[in-house]
Amino acid sequence: MDQLEKEVQPKILEALLNAKTDYTFDDALENEMVLNMGPQHPATHGVLRLLLRLDGERIVACVPDLGYLHRGYEKMAENMTYYEYIPHTDRLDYISPMANNVAWVLAVEKLAGIEAPKRAQYIRMMIAELARIASHLVAIGSFAMDVGALTIFLWTLREREKILDIWDILCGARFTNSYTRIGGVANDAQPEALEKVKWFVDQFEPNLEECEKLVNKNRIFIERVDGVGAISKEDAISFGFSGPNLRACGVNFDLRRNAPYLCYDEIDFEVPTYSEGDCLARYFLRLDECRESAKIVLQILNKMPQGEVIANQPKKVLPHKDEVYTKMEELIHDFMIVNFGINPPEGEIYHAIEGTKGELGFYLVSKGEGRPWKCKIRSPSFNNLQVLPKLVVGQMISDVVAIIGSIDPIMGEADK
Amino acid sequence: MEEVESKPVKRRTKDLNLWEKIYIPEIIKGLALTFRNIFRPKFTMEYPEVKFEPPASYRGRPVLVQEESGVERCVACGLCSRVCPALAIEVQAAETELEKERFPEKFEINMIRCIFCGFCEEVCPEEAIVMSKDYELAFFNREDALYGKDKLLVPASELEDRIKFLRQYK
Repeated sequence: MDQLEKEVQPKILEALLNAKTDYTFDDALENEMVLNMGPQHPATHGVLRLLLRLDGERIVACVPDLGYLHRGYEKMAENMTYYEYIPHTDRLDYISPMANNVAWVLAVEKLAGIEAPKRAQYIRMMIAELARIASHLVAIGSFAMDVGALTIFLWTLREREKILDIWDILCGARFTNSYTRIGGVANDAQPEALEKVKWFVDQFEPNLEECEKLVNKNRIFIERVDGVGAISKEDAISFGFSGPNLRACGVNFDLRRNAPYLCYDEIDFEVPTYSEGDCLARYFLRLDECRESAKIVLQILNKMPQGEVIANQPKKVLPHKDEVYTKMEELIHDFMIVNFGINPPEGEIYHAIEGTKGELGFYLVSKGEGRPWKCKIRSPSFNNLQVLPKLVVGQMISDVVAIIGSIDPIMGEADK
Repeated sequence: MEEVESKPVKRRTKDLNLWEKIYIPEIIKGLALTFRNIFRPKFTMEYPEVKFEPPASYRGRPVLVQEESGVERCVACGLCSRVCPALAIEVQAAETELEKERFPEKFEINMIRCIFCGFCEEVCPEEAIVMSKDYELAFFNREDALYGKDKLLVPASELEDRIKFLRQYK
């Protein structure tokens, strides 16, 4: 340490003192500035880094730099069984882990040819919709907070907290749920959990209205985001936008209706659409989707059938616990499935669901082993971020914050 | 994909109508909301003073079930250690004179690694490892986080809630 102070520090000091710091320009207005925004920036929703070329305060060019949260989840899938990977999907889009769980097991079930019982499918739909509400509440709140309305964030998070309480009863964890299983769900929905869902949906509408009243007619808020970050329908499609962001551009496309999975074809719901494609449209669309999801949950509660929640396919689906305790056959299957995996037939599939941020898909290649040979995650946040350079060019720096907030990227998912 | 009409631009209004421009009624409305919120029941929980009481389905710290005789149920099959996605469990088996023939000589859960997914409990063929309601886990150093058998064994009578839940719903 002493040596460091004696030898190195004077050298650094010397280098700093000798560095050329006085730049002079003939024309003070001719130069442009490059600004690093992030990765440690409160408004970039995680570790998103943006390189901005600025002319004054206007943005001339933008290059997003992703990968600060890369954990190699696609590669990790190749070294674990399909079953073991379920908790890892929680950590992709950490605002709506339930939707990721559903997407993963649906992809694996498609690969292995398993069909979950009706009740399990209804429970999955219910949790996916509640996850959408929770995710949109965070998106609305943090978007409003980014542009300066702080109260709405606290209020929407209060609503989200109620959903987390439901998760607590339903599966025992608030955040990293790992609730779905290959062939069904981990445990049947308890009556008290369903009661709480009913209570939540009933009180949700007035509370959401209270939240949106704060900013919906607020002149400061509207002028801040109206017309900012607008994108045309054609551009949105060619950039691979999906989910609420795409629907805010006027494209009426929703996988729940255009390629129904689970039991969405039995549910009556609307797909809200806006045509402006700007930040405000995305904000309004998320509000509308929250209401629509609440309606879907209510229908699901009324239609939910009784029965099993896990498929009866002993070679591929973990048996019930009481059967493992008492029967030899089930005990052997328990050991085989855990040790060697479910060995789906050779082949490759892609399955996508309408996740909370957009089209959340898993592409799986199986070589007949217990673990996937290749797993590719089509994460909506990643694709949605591709359009950012186009949206921010010509806007101010403070608009970048609003645009990122309205796209609602989750970096855990974008970086995988 | 079909063409859709734009939603009415009504939602984008930022100009006030006459009633709103008078201001006084709007201020009273706003204050009414404020005062209503003051008298609402508190939504937050004052945590260290008020403890969170978890439901039976809660996945807290994994523990080993101890029979009344003082012996653990575990037969050291190692299935929990195999399935653990975070590689947190280490089991070493040894033989015993008891009826179950095998027991874990060493059973260690690294609580820094554990992600509380509950898979160990789900695959256990002996109902020997279950998730408790214990959620207050804090350590001063890494060695304290290695939970051996001494910390993991919990009498079955304290885990009745969870075992009942497992038999009913899993």
